[in-house]
Amino acid sequence: MNHKKYLKLALVGFVLFSASTIISSCGDPKKVEETEEEPVDAAKDNLVSVNGELFSIPSPLQTSILLKSSGANYSKDILNLTSNLPSYSTEYKKALNLGVYGADLGYVIIYGQTQDALGYLNASKRLADDINVSGAFDASLMKRFEKNMGNNDSLLSIFTSGYRATDSYLKNNDRNAVSGMVITGGWIESLYFTLNILKKDFKNKNVVIQRVGEQKNTLDHVIKLLTPFYQNPDMTELTELTDALLELYHEFEDIEVKYTFVKPTTDVANKITTINSKTEVKITDEQLKNITDKLSAIRQMIIN
Amino acid sequence: MIRKFTIALALIAALVSVGNKAVAQCDTVANACVRHMTSKYISDGQHYRALLLDKEIAEFQSTFYGGTTYRIAACSGLGDGNLVFRIFDKERNLLFDNSEQQNAPYWDFKFVSTLDCTIEAQIIPGKAPSGCAVMMISFKQ
Repeated sequence: MNHKKYLKLALVGFVLFSASTIISSCGDPKKVEETEEEPVDAAKDNLVSVNGELFSIPSPLQTSILLKSSGANYSKDILNLTSNLPSYSTEYKKALNLGVYGADLGYVIIYGQTQDALGYLNASKRLADDINVSGAFDASLMKRFEKNMGNNDSLLSIFTSGYRATDSYLKNNDRNAVSGMVITGGWIESLYFTLNILKKDFKNKNVVIQRVGEQKNTLDHVIKLLTPFYQNPDMTELTELTDALLELYHEFEDIEVKYTFVKPTTDVANKITTINSKTEVKITDEQLKNITDKLSAIRQMIIN
Repeated sequence: MIRKFTIALALIAALVSVGNKAVAQCDTVANACVRHMTSKYISDGQHYRALLLDKEIAEFQSTFYGGTTYRIAACSGLGDGNLVFRIFDKERNLLFDNSEQQNAPYWDFKFVSTLDCTIEAQIIPGKAPSGCAVMMISFKQ
């Protein structure tokens, strides 16, 4: 065999191998791998950085739960309209608004507004399909959701499983930028509706104001989540968003956070540890106003 | 020159293959780990994974809200008890160490106040030379 033929064969082999790899990795994210577990002897995987840090962003659902328990009424007017969906044409806008609609969907379910839930679920599915994560919101999930209308616990479980499948699929396929955008969109939306609900009257406003101040560290994590893609020439909009989030962080910087360590207590029989340490957050009206203004501008940038 | 190029192609193919095995391995571990998240708990919608070699430590940064009970599950391999996980506050005070609880694969945490924490996970030496560490966080409504 001459060298030219050898090279051609090697190239064809590699192309076929790569194609089969791509095809096999684009399957249904919910499909359970049946392969035997094997030890892997190389740390150079493309999943996450080893010995680096991973950032967990609290679920937007927790904010909705807090708002409801604080006595705030349901406000549909603060959510992103599903009629905005056709205007999201880039992967950047689609991924961010998948997060936005996810936060909105959680909010309407927590408030038991099932008539609005289906619209937000359909919008989420459409965006997930558009960014090629169709398996996450498959026909069976949509059917289960419709069947469980009225059962909020089941709806929460079904919709969070869709979002978890999306996150898993994106990370498995080395689409960490898209995964980061979905998470960022959800965080921005939940903070947006929190800040706007604070303009209305309800019982336990102080608890909600405290929660806004507690976002200081989460915002730091959101920025770190997006940092690997900063100034990537193919992601100029994401760089602009990161810059805007950095500007927002300046408003959080002076929020006073006092931490006191208290020894935890463990109940071994019930497998539960109570973390007794305390954090106190002091946020001024001016800080709250500046955060509201900057965050609203960022949210406008995303949903329009 | 052509031989070097062919070797490079073979190496790339091998690396892609290892990457695929890692993805499959993490999926298998995640699917096994999810059983610890019972219906009382709502997932935070995210997946945390790290492929660890012997003695390597994965570090997860998280904020836990006050007044909430969380369940944290940490798994490696298909069986339980292959992973040590420890939770520290921002001053590096140790809040929890599952090795003191027979390497329990999951534990519940009631946070009195909102806390920024670091969770460290490490495969127990001698259990496996390497593997995928998966962590899941869920909370009670």
